[in-house]
Amino acid sequence: MKITDACIFPYPDGDSTVSRMAIEAGELGFDSLVAIGDAGHRFSCAVEILQGAIITARSVKEVLRDPAVRRADLVCVDAGDLSFNRALASTKDVNVISKIHATRQNAFDHVAARTAAERGVAVEISIAPLIHFRGAKRQQALNRYADILALHRRYGFMLTISSAASSILDQRSVREIRGLCGLFGMTGAEVNEALSSVGRMIEHSSPPGGAVR
Amino acid sequence: MRTKRRYILARILPYGAAVDQKQLYLSVIEAAASLLGDAAVGLAQPTVVYCDAGYAVIRCRRGAEREIAAALATVTAVGDDRVSLRTVATSGTIRALRRRMRPIRPIPEDGEIMIGERAYAVCRYPGQKVDLIEKGIKHQKRFFFSELDLEER
Repeated sequence: MKITDACIFPYPDGDSTVSRMAIEAGELGFDSLVAIGDAGHRFSCAVEILQGAIITARSVKEVLRDPAVRRADLVCVDAGDLSFNRALASTKDVNVISKIHATRQNAFDHVAARTAAERGVAVEISIAPLIHFRGAKRQQALNRYADILALHRRYGFMLTISSAASSILDQRSVREIRGLCGLFGMTGAEVNEALSSVGRMIEHSSPPGGAVR
Repeated sequence: MRTKRRYILARILPYGAAVDQKQLYLSVIEAAASLLGDAAVGLAQPTVVYCDAGYAVIRCRRGAEREIAAALATVTAVGDDRVSLRTVATSGTIRALRRRMRPIRPIPEDGEIMIGERAYAVCRYPGQKVDLIEKGIKHQKRFFFSELDLEER
């Protein structure tokens, strides 16, 4: 079981380099992390660095046209309205639907959940809104995550957990993530499963002994 | 009757950050009240009992330590400075927590590096960690690098 932080934004997007974030991630209990942008080193200390891409698009055609789809180990696409999310859930090249906390309440329904479960598309839970937001925005994020968790329990699609950290100051340990995810009712076992889902996804998509994608 | 207490040991990041105990208390209370509500924080009674050498000890009522630890993870600043608290351990005594404190001191070695047109002081720490601190008087920008990054520059 590989514990993975599903999304970080290293230097130059943030103030910490990918190798420093990997050192910190190792100390915080992670085995690998997904760096958005040019990751640089593939291995740093004992932590594996995977290359990720975040795509913001309005249609699935736009997503598939993006060159990052073929380059990255993990392709994340920002969620949108209901029809877009349903289409994303059935798209083979998409690994993760991200920024679900910023969508409307009905933007990810049981149809999208069932399709995501069938096609192996995961939904990202980012702890950044729980750490940085205050008041109504954080309440909305907690509410959305509770809805997603209820759908996950019913339909069994994968969840990933990310810190969305752009600095080592935003990274959190596995224990702290368990505490934060407990706020919307996620159990320790579910957190462990979500943290290891990127590892499972990568294993399934890579040929035996070959490259990742 | 005297209530049972729990003590949470948290490491203060970035290394070398000068954090005032009262300011830290205010940040912890703000984060906890925002996350858990005034009623829950009133019952949990969180207090900062120690803040020095890169560590803080937060006291709370027994049974509320998980909620307070979650609230500590949402502390992002103390005063005007960006700070992060990383929970290290929870215990019933401060003495047990003191054994877990391992002060991290910079490796004494002077250096300076230019990023763009700005000069940064190089502070090296154990574990290949390098903090770059902008030269100035207050609210200096920080970058978090590693030895590997400096070798490549």
